[in-house]
Amino acid sequence: MTQSNRISTGGRIDRSHGLEFNFNGQSYQGYAGDTLASALLANGVDIVNRSFKYSRARGIVAAGAEEPNALVQLGARKDTQVPNVRSTQQALYDGLVARSTNGWPNVQRDVMSWVGKLGGNFMPPGFYYKTFMSPASMWMTYEKYIRMGAGLGRAPTESDPDIYDHMHHHCDVLVIGAGPAGLAAALSAARGGARVILCDEQEEMGGSLLDSRETLDGTSPVAWIEKTISELASMATVTLLPRTTANGYHDHNFVTLHERRTEHLADTASDAGFPGQARARLHRVRATRVVLASGTHERPVVYANNDLPGNMVAGAVSTYIRRYAVVPGNSLVLTTSNDHAYRAALDWQEAGRKVVAIVDARANPDGDLVRQARDSGIRVITGSAVIEAKGTQRVSGARVSAVDLDHFVVTGRIEDLECDTIASSGGYSPVVHLSSHTGTRPKWHEDMLGFLPGDVKDMISTGGVAGHYALGETLADGARAGRQAAIDSGFENAEELKLPDIKERRDGPSCALYQAPHEKQGLRAPKQFVDMQNDVTASAIELATREGFESIEHVKRYTALGFGTDQGKLGNINGMAIAARCLGRSIPEVGTTVFRPNYTPITFGAIVGRHCDEFFDPKRYTALHQWHVENGAEFEDVGLWKRPWYFPRNANGKKENMHDAVARECLAVREGVGILDASTLGKIDIQGPDAREFLGRVYTNKWAKLEPGRVRYGLMCKDDGMLMDDGTTSCLGDNHFLMTTTTGGAAAVLEWLELWHQTEWPELQVYFNSVTDHWATMTVTGPDARKLMSEVTDIDLDREKFKFMDWKEGNVAGIPARVFRISFTGELAYEINVQANYAMHVWKTLFEHGEKYNLTPYGTETMHVLRAEKGLIIVGQDTDGSVTPEDLGMHWAIGYDKPFHWIGKRALSRPDTMRGDRKQLVGLKPKDASIVLEEGAQIVLDPNESIPMTMMGHVTSSYYSPSLKGSFALAVLKNGRERMGETVYLPMSDGKTHEAEVVSTIFIDPKGERQNV
Amino acid sequence: MSDVKEFETRPADDSKAESPLAWSLHEQKSLPHASNPGVILSEKPFLGHLILRGGAIVMDEAVREVMGMALPARPLALVSDDSGERSIQWLSPDEWLVIVPGGEEFALEQKLRQSLGQSHFSIVNVGGGQTVLSLKGKASRDVLMKSISYDVHEEVFPVGKGVSTVFAKATVILRRPEEDGWELVIRRSFADYCYRWLLDAAKEYGVSVTR
Repeated sequence: MTQSNRISTGGRIDRSHGLEFNFNGQSYQGYAGDTLASALLANGVDIVNRSFKYSRARGIVAAGAEEPNALVQLGARKDTQVPNVRSTQQALYDGLVARSTNGWPNVQRDVMSWVGKLGGNFMPPGFYYKTFMSPASMWMTYEKYIRMGAGLGRAPTESDPDIYDHMHHHCDVLVIGAGPAGLAAALSAARGGARVILCDEQEEMGGSLLDSRETLDGTSPVAWIEKTISELASMATVTLLPRTTANGYHDHNFVTLHERRTEHLADTASDAGFPGQARARLHRVRATRVVLASGTHERPVVYANNDLPGNMVAGAVSTYIRRYAVVPGNSLVLTTSNDHAYRAALDWQEAGRKVVAIVDARANPDGDLVRQARDSGIRVITGSAVIEAKGTQRVSGARVSAVDLDHFVVTGRIEDLECDTIASSGGYSPVVHLSSHTGTRPKWHEDMLGFLPGDVKDMISTGGVAGHYALGETLADGARAGRQAAIDSGFENAEELKLPDIKERRDGPSCALYQAPHEKQGLRAPKQFVDMQNDVTASAIELATREGFESIEHVKRYTALGFGTDQGKLGNINGMAIAARCLGRSIPEVGTTVFRPNYTPITFGAIVGRHCDEFFDPKRYTALHQWHVENGAEFEDVGLWKRPWYFPRNANGKKENMHDAVARECLAVREGVGILDASTLGKIDIQGPDAREFLGRVYTNKWAKLEPGRVRYGLMCKDDGMLMDDGTTSCLGDNHFLMTTTTGGAAAVLEWLELWHQTEWPELQVYFNSVTDHWATMTVTGPDARKLMSEVTDIDLDREKFKFMDWKEGNVAGIPARVFRISFTGELAYEINVQANYAMHVWKTLFEHGEKYNLTPYGTETMHVLRAEKGLIIVGQDTDGSVTPEDLGMHWAIGYDKPFHWIGKRALSRPDTMRGDRKQLVGLKPKDASIVLEEGAQIVLDPNESIPMTMMGHVTSSYYSPSLKGSFALAVLKNGRERMGETVYLPMSDGKTHEAEVVSTIFIDPKGERQNV
Repeated sequence: MSDVKEFETRPADDSKAESPLAWSLHEQKSLPHASNPGVILSEKPFLGHLILRGGAIVMDEAVREVMGMALPARPLALVSDDSGERSIQWLSPDEWLVIVPGGEEFALEQKLRQSLGQSHFSIVNVGGGQTVLSLKGKASRDVLMKSISYDVHEEVFPVGKGVSTVFAKATVILRRPEEDGWELVIRRSFADYCYRWLLDAAKEYGVSVTR
């Protein structure tokens, strides 16, 4: 197919650089500089999509972000699919493949369109809810099929080959939009010395100047654009971001910009010649001042069949002709309410095609452009409007009539004009979306016939979005805004910008034209579309108001006006005007709906950035990680840490399963010696004359008499009396302590200590520092631990000189170490702390000497079993924020008679915490020792009680114990300590009920003799 | 302040040490090398790191006496001695990070304790828990902008500044000791994450890692 609508000269395309592309399975040609939309129009492609609800044929309407119809599914491969790309914003590249988002089997012959035609009059707003509301249980089924028929675009089914990333910026002035106002603002602010970021969503900066008929300094505006951009580019303080959409305007001038880096070049970054680079980048900008120069969207006029392909917004016609050298038709009728739109007809005529007529709703238009049109021999029909488009697959004519807009009626004879294109302009809507994101409502300006941005703190709106439509005014306003922004951000010497000369042009006043009346009223007229993307018609809005939806927010939700990716760019103001007319109110009385981020769709990849796959979350490693990996450890995530879970062995070419590995590791510790990497435990160095006093206030137990060289286990409660963390704290010197915390609680405990110190007890002289990463901790435990240790350390290990709960310093494997005799296994144990850089050497030396003792590395799972056999709790597993130390039976660790009121003491005397039937920690011994109870299983006393049963507690920890040769569990049970020996029941979801005996929490060595040897 | 247990954690024979990046470098087999790197990364391992806590006035006196340097009094300030090998960085109103050549830290701690006498202060050796990554090259700032939300622009982040801030999903200390060089002080357990993140962020500019 040839490019039948391409003009041979002009435009900003490169005719020497032809491109091939494929749309809906057919090949076409375009040029570098085209958008997909301009190339489709050049090739005479009328129907680009089917509409969302009625499956009506749709063509390209606009030339930018406001395009409601020409959404495509982009991508040549399954893994490069991008849904909902506006073809007006997609630069053409060689090999581009796109399909319409809707239409089955294809957009030309769409099966669903019969539903649309047939159902058209029967599908008012709320159709689905009204029709499928009963029986309610069937809605899920209906919905599945309804969604199959509807929908915009398809999510890719394979993972994205590209990457995306983020970049953080700070600037004095962020200028959004590089049209005349934005360029002038950026230049003005940058010359003043400010750090400036200028972003623009289009392929090329310049905005409306790129298709303007006007001249700057007597020549094409392009020269001025180029000069301005090259000056900006040469300044180190300026960042230029083309192809970058300001998508979200958040609090405190935090703006997110979505930069498309390779999407204009090829399907993937690799195909574009940038392998491994980000396809799109999200810029996160903090700006002292934002200059909003987002311009305007031209409003189409709402008339009957205004969605037929061939109906376009007037300004888009000019853009296609002047910027892309494409005339999207042969004969044009223009319907307008203002002077500015006349340029579409002039451009059309100059491109050598026929202008049938300009239909102007005003009685006496008389501006310069009007005169120019008349002088060029164009017929101007005044006081009239196009009331209906004729045609089936494309416009074939326009019905034109005199109209009385005050009474909203057709007044004259209806004339049929033959044409294939109808351009319309009902005026201009400032693009207030971004300013609305901040929560500020736009304000109606009757003189502008549009909503302008409301007042946003530290933002200046300028140019079109501020209601300045004449080029000279826009440039001057932009320069002023840029200078003001620079001054406001501290560059007081910013000077006024000298602006290019512009030939004055007189524009006459516009009139308010949103919807053209039709000789048939309301639903009887052919469909008049307000929001084409969501298939919302004027009569639907009328119906909504008749059904009692008076608030514009309700009208929006009932009809879907301005929903989804469209965000009401073309339709919202017309919709509000129609609602206002139907309700007999003014537009400001009706008000606007809220525009939300994002302004245009943004790929999830850009939101996620590099925080995916290996960077999804940090992985924290201990100093011994490499050894664990090399020795086949399976890892468990504990917080962000990767901790060895268990170390399966390979025997006879088969890898040990977890059960066998854990059983072997447990027995090694109980019968020989095992070793654990405990480096992840939180460690806090505490120094100061009041350190001891502070410990007494944050722990439940007593610290006054702990001597240097001794270690004590402590419980920490929140002020509600509930256990928050536990661990041992060692007295290093009278004013010096080393606190350990749980792995997951380390950061929270340090914050907790700082919080109480800084807010409640600042008078206490004490400092806290995290030393978690500084020390590596290795636990050597088991009956043979002393023998092994004696080979590698100069510390005297004599049981009388180095007792349980003592710590000593010395050398281990030639490295200075602190060794703590604390035990989480119930066995003889030495916890070796060395500076982490030397940990690997110490660990390997232990294994050299440990071979003869069958030194066995064990992981967290074995640690859990061993400690549970001893009834030692894990905070967060056996407790859940509702468990007091008393509930755990740990009254021995509570110092009620301490002189200072420690945290949680008051709460422990509340009636609720003192009640007798609280859940208390107990041991459970399943009657069938082969059954390992499920953690979380509920405990009942009467297995035959009907549902809902009386739940008495639940299992918190449950394992198989190789030492006990059977299963065992810890649980919390109401009044549990009084129920020793009783049988309880655990009904499971599979219908089985397990039985267990309530026993002590200590299953092995109740007197603690093994650790005290 | 007395009754604090000083402890030399470094053995006489220092050859057994492994830096926090040992695992990452081991995993990598060979170090990344670009012909014209925009970013050059290198670890400065095994340095002496001390955290000083205390009142600024007494701490300043002690530091002047022992190190011959003034304590950085302004928030976010970083000072170095003439050799550039010893530095003190403001971390919070009563908190400073001292980095000295490896092996000096214990003697320094002892001298400072002596000088500080009975004042209320704390000195904590954290040298095993963190390491320094040096970031050089023309694209260093771009890489930082991809990783850190703090403003790293010349005017806001001059030589002699340092901040504690968020780096991707970790926290780091970022400092600028010289015109074309940045340093990241990263925690041992997060070192691999930070290192890999930096390599990834720097890839588009070309990155070399040197020892």
